[in-house]
Amino acid sequence: MTENAALLLPVLFPVLAGLPVFRLHKPKTRQRYVFAALVLGALAAFWACSLPDCRFTIWQLTDTLSLTLRTDGFGRFFVCLVSVIWVLVGVYAFEYIRHEGNDERFFAFYVMTFGVLIGVGFSGSLITLYLFYEFMTLITVPLVIHSGTKEAISAGFKYLGYSVFGAGLGLLGFFFLSQYVTTMEFVPGGVLDPVKTAGQEPLLLVVFLIMMIGFGCKAGMMPLQAWLPTAHPVAPAPASGVLSGIITKAGVLAIVRVTYYIYGADFLRGSWAQYTMLALTLCTVFAGSMLAYKEKLLKKRLAWSSVSQVSYVLFGLMLLTPAGFLGALLQMVFHAVAKNILFLCAGAVIYKTHKTYAGELTGMGKRMPVVMWCFTLASLSLIGIPPTAGFVSKWYLAQGALTPELGAWGITGAAVLLVSALLTAGYLLPVVASSFFPGEDYDYSRVKKCDPGLGMTVPLVILAAAAVLLGMFPGPLTTFIQSLCGSLL
Amino acid sequence: MGKFLLAFLVFFPFAAALVGYLIGRHSKAGRDYSAQAACLLEFLAAVGLSGCWGSTLQWDGFCGLGLSFACDGFRTVMAVLAGYAWLSTTVASREYFGHLRNRNRYYLFTLMTLGSTMGVFLAADLYTVFIFFEIMSFTSWVMVAQEETPEAQKASGTYLGVAVLGGLVTLMGLFMLYSSVGTLRLDELTGLISQAENKPFLYATGVLIFFGFAVKAGVYPLHIWLPTAHPAAPAPASALLSGIITKAGIFGILAVSCNIFLHDARWGNFLLVLAVLTMVTGALLAVFSINLKRTLACSSMSQLGFILTGIAMQCLLGPENALAAGGTILHLMNHTLIKIVLFLSAGVIFLNLESFDLNRIRGFGRKKPLLMTVFLMGVLAIAGVPLWSGYVSKTLLHESIVEYIAMAGLTAGQAAYYKAVEWLFLISGGLTVAYMTKLFVAVFVEKNPTEQARYDEKRRYVARPTAAVLTVTAAALPVLGILPGLTMDRIAGLCRGFMHAEAPAHAVHYFSLVNLKGAVVSLLIGAAVYLLLVRPLLTQKQPDGTRLYVNRWPRWLDLEYGLYRPILLRFLPFIGALLSRTACSLADWAAGAFGALLFWKAPKKVEPPVDNAFGVYPERPHYHTIRGSLAYSLLLFGIGLSIMLLYLLFVR
Repeated sequence: MTENAALLLPVLFPVLAGLPVFRLHKPKTRQRYVFAALVLGALAAFWACSLPDCRFTIWQLTDTLSLTLRTDGFGRFFVCLVSVIWVLVGVYAFEYIRHEGNDERFFAFYVMTFGVLIGVGFSGSLITLYLFYEFMTLITVPLVIHSGTKEAISAGFKYLGYSVFGAGLGLLGFFFLSQYVTTMEFVPGGVLDPVKTAGQEPLLLVVFLIMMIGFGCKAGMMPLQAWLPTAHPVAPAPASGVLSGIITKAGVLAIVRVTYYIYGADFLRGSWAQYTMLALTLCTVFAGSMLAYKEKLLKKRLAWSSVSQVSYVLFGLMLLTPAGFLGALLQMVFHAVAKNILFLCAGAVIYKTHKTYAGELTGMGKRMPVVMWCFTLASLSLIGIPPTAGFVSKWYLAQGALTPELGAWGITGAAVLLVSALLTAGYLLPVVASSFFPGEDYDYSRVKKCDPGLGMTVPLVILAAAAVLLGMFPGPLTTFIQSLCGSLL
Repeated sequence: MGKFLLAFLVFFPFAAALVGYLIGRHSKAGRDYSAQAACLLEFLAAVGLSGCWGSTLQWDGFCGLGLSFACDGFRTVMAVLAGYAWLSTTVASREYFGHLRNRNRYYLFTLMTLGSTMGVFLAADLYTVFIFFEIMSFTSWVMVAQEETPEAQKASGTYLGVAVLGGLVTLMGLFMLYSSVGTLRLDELTGLISQAENKPFLYATGVLIFFGFAVKAGVYPLHIWLPTAHPAAPAPASALLSGIITKAGIFGILAVSCNIFLHDARWGNFLLVLAVLTMVTGALLAVFSINLKRTLACSSMSQLGFILTGIAMQCLLGPENALAAGGTILHLMNHTLIKIVLFLSAGVIFLNLESFDLNRIRGFGRKKPLLMTVFLMGVLAIAGVPLWSGYVSKTLLHESIVEYIAMAGLTAGQAAYYKAVEWLFLISGGLTVAYMTKLFVAVFVEKNPTEQARYDEKRRYVARPTAAVLTVTAAALPVLGILPGLTMDRIAGLCRGFMHAEAPAHAVHYFSLVNLKGAVVSLLIGAAVYLLLVRPLLTQKQPDGTRLYVNRWPRWLDLEYGLYRPILLRFLPFIGALLSRTACSLADWAAGAFGALLFWKAPKKVEPPVDNAFGVYPERPHYHTIRGSLAYSLLLFGIGLSIMLLYLLFVR
């Protein structure tokens, strides 16, 4: 593999470009600058993705440890997802953040986080991943506590505490693993040294579980999911959107890396650790949906929903079957799209009408038709109603689960996914129904159309179109993921 | 040509819906006409399908597995029926909706429902069926909710909830079927049960798939949405719901029963139990109802039970099931036509009186020959009176039961069981006669005690297009009934291929004495029920001598509010939320305990010592005062660790 310093560009560029934003006080200039930085950053990322597989060693720590950036299939997948969503949400944020104030700070951290996330995606070894992962936690704290209220700050600390603890568990696993691996870099199919691991399998499985729980914290997996429903709702809507849609996926990325690139699917298949993980993810899927169903505050409901939906991804990954992997990665994309739409819509409603409870959206479909239509399509996708995207990912997840080797686990898994889908319908559709069917005595004379400006609606419409079109035509995406699958499973 | 027509039938309505919506923002009349034109085109295309049997259409990769459509006799009949139903109701809609709000929305979703229904009827695999079935559930939900009255909101909530639940259960079945068999194509699933190794698994799969379709088809005990959604929807939408959308459920059940469980007696018995329950319960509910549209809705449920009986008999009879197959499809068709007539007539009454309450609308039909004739055709057809279409299909269904009892070599106990089924069939037919008589007498015979003069004066009570549609549809019913050999037998013949049924050994003599007997028995039972039960028990004599219809159906006998809602919306969520909340709080509790330990000895609040010599102190407490606590020790420990780490990394 060739060394290519160009890999540094998409990581460093946004981080450096974010710094001057602190001093850009003129809204017009700042918007132009931020937009240019995001687009250029995204272009740089796409360009890096288009390069043939290459690597770059940032710093050789010891003879076996090095900070390495590397492009591979999965990294490209993650980076492209991040880039697209990041630019769209950034555009949305221009208008939205204005009513929150402190725009400079928000956009500075927003742009910098972009670079860090690309670093996470391009990480070539576990230590690099850990480093960027912690960096990502720290740099997103300002986004969470942006409003500066007491509630936000305490949520920020909770976020920080859980994340650092989770990453710490990951680091712990890393220390253990370093004894048993041939290299610390990610290699498809795993790097465990069969000679050294002989007889140590139980210990390694314990370590695996610890790492999963640690990295699962970011992905909102039980038992460390508690920060998510606290931190996501208090952040400004665009930040909630990317936190739920993208940052949780960084946890997923770490789990993919550890499972498929360090341990290897063959080592884990059929072990008790796999079944424990399946049980944990299924519990999370159910509990998240259940509590979302019971939650009245719209943004918090969406946060609980993320807890559930991201665990669909983890469930698919832990099946260790090609169809499960395919379903998981599709779900990763589709959830990112749908959840961003939902949070951005909730944000638009707050921005225009200051309504925060799910029950207050009566007649909103008449007042903000574009926003609520996007909300509806995203809801359908999240539930998994064909032909929207969520249906396709659920189809493959269930196919992955229902393999004969998994026996009752598969059937239980598929059943839990569907129960959760039913609950998802239960917490999203009433909102849709009351917003479009306010009742015959609804006072139409007082309705004023108040869809937000183009800056907010255009990203929403693009994402909503994606939520439907990706479901109708998942071909290119599935082909790409299946090509990844070949080397992993 | 076939490919084009298939694609056109399924996707054109979606395009027409969007175009119509855009037109509707500028011109209401233009939108109405464009919707009618779209339905007409759709109907013509459906008729055109009859020239392209055997053609298929494949769209790989759509939604993952891809769509596939096929065309044969049965699908053509279904498509033509759907096309006709939409054409007639859309023509009537222009008058019905008059100046209501949100009409644009109604047309948008009605046309989309048309496209998705066509998708269901023309599908060649269960995946395609499911995709369009789900789209149909959601778009038809808007039709139910359209009027936004409190009842409509409640009914549409139930409709959607049950539809989503049913869809997901069916999806589970499809997951299991696809993962075990590897295909969902109907032609590849034929006769699966006879070769299956794991039969219980396949039965479970079948029941799961059946569930969602049964919800739509109003099968007991999943019928709960039906008696509330039909009355709440606008009349043209009720006609569609009852006439076609429930048939999409029947289509799914047929697809499962005539392919996976082809000629499987166990499956047939399972269906038969549900069919009889649906048939009898629907008819009973209809007899008790005092609301015109609710009666019609419950009647739909009952008639769907008749159709389901036909499907069950197909499975039971095995290869010689021509009678049952013919009865199924013909009753399906008749019911669609009859319900278009009856619901549109109900819509006419509602437009004039704003009510469906029998006590308020009674007498409205007097001195209105057109409405009365049209309604009477519907009544006679659905009651199974000879010379009207319903008689033919009911006779076929009845004969199939009789045939099974005669030929299957049953034990005495089994024979008694099927004999009981036959009697329940006849009694349901009798109840049909009774409730239709009740409606007819109320609307067209009895006088309204207070408003009769006003009702009699109404001469212009229906617009021309609506009247035309009603007349044409109603005229079809006796024509079909008088010439069954020319019309209905041929239609049944077209559909046999889909159901894998053989042609009958000899033509059925519908007007022979044996066959007339069943109808006469039903009519007698109906007359008895009406005279002995409905008149004396379900009406109440008023002081002024008139009779008032009263609702004697016990309130607590409501499955939805008595059983389903408390369990599904109260009890289960409570348990689930309790467990989830506990599980999700574990980490927080641990963190709380750890925090308590960490700050165990830390003082709560610190007063900085006052030292005037050094000026101002900050207002915040000094954190260094946690010396002596666990936190302090941990901090020192951490510092030590990091120094060691640095030493290991760089010095050694």
